[in-house]
Amino acid sequence: MTTEGTDTATPPEGPLLRTLAPLLRGLERKLRGWLDARHRHTVPLVQRAELEGLDGDLRRQAEALDVDKPLLVVVLMGGTGVGKSTLLNALAGGAVAQSSFARPTTRDPVVYFHHSVKTDRLDPALRMCRLAQHDREPLAQKVIVDTPDLDSNDLANRDKLFALLPVADVVLYVGSQEKYHDKLGWELFKEQRRRRAFAFVLNKWDRCVQGSETGLRPDQDLLADLASEGFQNPRLFRTTAQLWVDAANASQGTPPDLPPGEQFNDLHHWLNLGLTRLEIEALKARGVGQLLAQIEGAVEKVRPPDLTAEGGKVRDAWERVLSDEAAAQAAVLVGTLDPYQTEVEHHFSVEDQQRYRGLMAAYLKLTTRLRYAGSTLRDRIPLAGGFLGGKVATPAEWNLGAFVQECSRTAGERVLDQRGTALVNRLLVEADQRGFPLALLSDPTASAARIDWRDRVTRSLIDALAEVEQVCTRPTGWRRWLRGGLGLAANTLPEVSLVATAGVLLWDFFIHGNVPGLFQVGLIFLVPLVVVVVFQLLVVTLLPVRWPAIRSEFETRLGRRLGAELVQTYLPIPGEITAALKEERRQIDTLASETREVSGWLAERQQAAHVADLYGS
Amino acid sequence: MPDTEPLDHRAAVGQLADDLAWLEDHCRRQEALAAHAGHLRLAAGLSRNVVGPFLDGQGPRPLHLAVVGGAGAGKSTVVNFLVGAVVAEANPQAGYTRHPTAYLPAASTIPWPSHHGFLGPLQRVSQEKPANVDEDVYQVRRVPPRPDAAGPNPLSDFVVWDCPDMTTWASTGYVARLVEVSALADVVVYVASDERYNDEVPTQSLHMLVKAGKAVVVVLTKMREADAAALVDHFRQEVLGRLPKLPDGTAPRVPVVAVPSLSSAERADPGGAGARYRAALLNQILVLCRDETAARRRTVMNAVRYLSAAGDGLLDVARRDLAELDAWKATVQRGKAEFEDRYRREFLSGEPFRRFDRTRDQLMEMIDLPGAGRVLSGAFWVLRTPYRLGRDYAAKLLTRPNTLNLSERSVLDAALAAWLDFLQTEVRTRADAHPVWKQLAHGFDAGLAAQARDRYQQVVRTYELKETDELERAGRQLTEGLDKNPALLNSLRGGKAATDLAVIGLIVGATWPPNWWLLLLLPLGVSATHQVEELGVRSAVEAARSKVRGHREGLVADTLTTPLAAWLTDWPATGGTSFERLHQVLRRVPETIRRLDAAVSAKAAPTPPPETERPTP
Repeated sequence: MTTEGTDTATPPEGPLLRTLAPLLRGLERKLRGWLDARHRHTVPLVQRAELEGLDGDLRRQAEALDVDKPLLVVVLMGGTGVGKSTLLNALAGGAVAQSSFARPTTRDPVVYFHHSVKTDRLDPALRMCRLAQHDREPLAQKVIVDTPDLDSNDLANRDKLFALLPVADVVLYVGSQEKYHDKLGWELFKEQRRRRAFAFVLNKWDRCVQGSETGLRPDQDLLADLASEGFQNPRLFRTTAQLWVDAANASQGTPPDLPPGEQFNDLHHWLNLGLTRLEIEALKARGVGQLLAQIEGAVEKVRPPDLTAEGGKVRDAWERVLSDEAAAQAAVLVGTLDPYQTEVEHHFSVEDQQRYRGLMAAYLKLTTRLRYAGSTLRDRIPLAGGFLGGKVATPAEWNLGAFVQECSRTAGERVLDQRGTALVNRLLVEADQRGFPLALLSDPTASAARIDWRDRVTRSLIDALAEVEQVCTRPTGWRRWLRGGLGLAANTLPEVSLVATAGVLLWDFFIHGNVPGLFQVGLIFLVPLVVVVVFQLLVVTLLPVRWPAIRSEFETRLGRRLGAELVQTYLPIPGEITAALKEERRQIDTLASETREVSGWLAERQQAAHVADLYGS
Repeated sequence: MPDTEPLDHRAAVGQLADDLAWLEDHCRRQEALAAHAGHLRLAAGLSRNVVGPFLDGQGPRPLHLAVVGGAGAGKSTVVNFLVGAVVAEANPQAGYTRHPTAYLPAASTIPWPSHHGFLGPLQRVSQEKPANVDEDVYQVRRVPPRPDAAGPNPLSDFVVWDCPDMTTWASTGYVARLVEVSALADVVVYVASDERYNDEVPTQSLHMLVKAGKAVVVVLTKMREADAAALVDHFRQEVLGRLPKLPDGTAPRVPVVAVPSLSSAERADPGGAGARYRAALLNQILVLCRDETAARRRTVMNAVRYLSAAGDGLLDVARRDLAELDAWKATVQRGKAEFEDRYRREFLSGEPFRRFDRTRDQLMEMIDLPGAGRVLSGAFWVLRTPYRLGRDYAAKLLTRPNTLNLSERSVLDAALAAWLDFLQTEVRTRADAHPVWKQLAHGFDAGLAAQARDRYQQVVRTYELKETDELERAGRQLTEGLDKNPALLNSLRGGKAATDLAVIGLIVGATWPPNWWLLLLLPLGVSATHQVEELGVRSAVEAARSKVRGHREGLVADTLTTPLAAWLTDWPATGGTSFERLHQVLRRVPETIRRLDAAVSAKAAPTPPPETERPTP
């Protein structure tokens, strides 16, 4: 490093790049963690790949910077035949890389580096290449890589180049008179220009200066192209490498017939002496700065949207849809109960009769059995169902659980199964109309729809039935008093009337000596019977348990229960997603702000000496 | 041939070129398909520049020579060599030439091609312009004869086209002009420099030209004189060896001429100092065009062959679109199936078709005896009273009330809503996958669902009319059938009356002399006959009922769902959208190509086929 003394600037206080390394490593770990974690908000494939690439660069940078003297990797890039290998040979002053007229020539990249650099300090991608060591002190900190072409029919060459590009700190874009702005190379340049420093070589300069009145000279054309890409003042070297190789082979110093404006010496000088340690550090720092800026940009791009407002709107819309749905489902379910109305009434009557005792109880049992003879008879006649037009298979025995399950099964087969998928679609459409992205919703709603609702419907049905039963058989308010009074009277009065009638007859017989006639004896039974019948009529008229009377009550309650079930299943989904996205936004914010911190730190300490031109704007 | 034939052909050629141009545009708009655009342009160019003029009866003169190649490969220099004088602006700027220029001898008597649609969108500019004018134009320059020319100009019947390159980043904008002129050419001169000859992009165009059946002459330029032979060998092996096989299975034979790097004297005087290279080049071209009629024939026949062979391949670009349209169709069909399923389960399975109860009563009435027989019927009716009462009571006990069925309209409306919701969610989920879905998503934003509902309202009205009609007809069919068949009706009536009387007679005879048993047996007997009759009528009515039920499903499918599904399926391909055009193009292109093929064969048939339809080196 003897040449460094000529530079006027003093090296920075601490080793800037070495301090940067742990910061980058920390940032890389965070980014990696974010990339590996699962997210609600799906990151588009392209952006994910971009972030993966940036993460790789970050890791590589962190490792490359964590040394005393970081190596500067200069990669030659260009089409086949533009003279990359010739250029390297000319720079090396001997045949380091193979060059010939057959295209493409270079298939294996050549890495040209100082013998003091241990091979294991090279990036793994470089270790795979053909290694050529030298002993030129000015190039001690620099590694020059000759790559295969990017435009020949041998597509494997392109892959090799792509594997090497991430290692490059500086890309030396080599063009010739024919290929200085070929599409393939130019697109690659545009893709990479934000990530690496670029210098340009226009080789075969001798072919460019053949006079002609029309057209731009290639270097002017190239400078114009570069200006339009933001490189106002690019570092461009016009060279004729072949002449220098020939001269070196002939052991001459400078080739005799150089075309005017040939700048190989400038390139040689720039690589050897121009890129001082200071410049290398600045270049590296600038590269890291660009990388950080890119990461920040890429991270901002994957920030999930804020959906709080939309989530609220979706919630309101869903609430309405779900309550409509619950009402519709309840109507369907109650509809399937219709054929069983006799059984339901029977069930309620039997329940209601539990509180009667004595004569009233005996009488009611008898009449109920007669009245509902059909509902038991129907179940006993094997053919009756089909023959008499009954369509619904009847449970073998009257049993509330089995009966309700049967109902929900029938309803499910007919209606509810399809309604389930239709409901999910309806919800999604509603959400879509309110600007909520469907991609976030379709999975959770689908998994919610997969939950077996039959159990829940059965449960709701049983609960609702029990509730209705509660209301009907244990009324509140004046009905309760009426019912209590009627019950008390019905449990006592028939017996009282029996005893009283018998007493009156006995009194008449013993005191008055009147022998009772057949009719009078019959009165002992008739009077209680009349009393019982009167009570039964009173109960039926005042406290009716008829299906039409309880139907609407039942439907309302069932709707309420089903609605609660549906709301519990679906309604929290938008809120959950919004919350998850909020958390993801927070993560992204942290990541971005940390990136900003590091790049702020870097910017403060960075002393960019002569490197701005290599990056364009 | 009728007189109108040429006009027909002209229209067909125009149509084909238009369709292909549209398809090309379609490809350019989709990034993934952009690579196919060149082939489509070539096909369009072949049809309008080669097939069209031939069918129009244009003569074989002039033959067209197109000089193509990568940027800076030396196309303009080769043009100068072909013409024999410095006419084209050869300069070192890569990609200077931006539009084609035609050179033809000033003294030539050949008419300039005036075919309608010649060179498609390229306009001829009248005054001379620099070659770097980047517009869809071409220019024609007349070259004055050399004063010292020895002998006649060997290319006096040729037009030489100097074309733009296809490799620089700017070439994306003008490569179509190059393709257009290569399509026109009878011989393509493919120029490749020592730097470029194994490049991917130019090699691909070489493949395309060979596939299109063009006669190709390769000119390799710029190598050192000493390397020329080796380079030609390498080129033959690396590039020509990998050319695609011709349709007849043979490897294409492509002559190669080497023009090493030229001295400025040779470059300045192609006819004199550079004559040896010029002679070699002209030889190869003249060998290919010994007989101009045969040469043109070869061009035309190969063009038609290419169009026929590549026709389907050209349309492959639309395959993805069609696949997506099919996916949309499948989605619509799935929705349709769900709609029908829902209708079947929610409505049809529970629908009793009450109309048939009336039919049953009518039938029963009809079978009763008319006129004086009424008295007898009345008597029987009285006799059957106890039976009737008992039966009604039993039926009431035994039959279950029907499930309350939802109204047909409400079921249909709900099913339609579910169908549209399903489609909308599917469309939204896939909106990013392909333009078809995106367009559909826009459609839904712009009220496609409302349009579909309108459409549904229309068809549902016709459906309801038809359905009522059908029900009424099916109901009436039974009674009318009996009405129109008096023999059957009378025999039924008579049979019934006779059976009743016979049973009565039998009972009376068996229990003679009359006693109180008769009171029991007579009603029993007539009730039994009546029950048998009722069973018969019921089975007839039930058969009609189930027939209507089965038919109803078909009616819904025919009048309601199928038209709606067809409308939805076609929606993306109607209303002037690109998919409508796509459909047309896909249908029309193969058809037009077939027509042109037939026309060309018919026109070429009168002359005996020449031995060489293939270029011979």
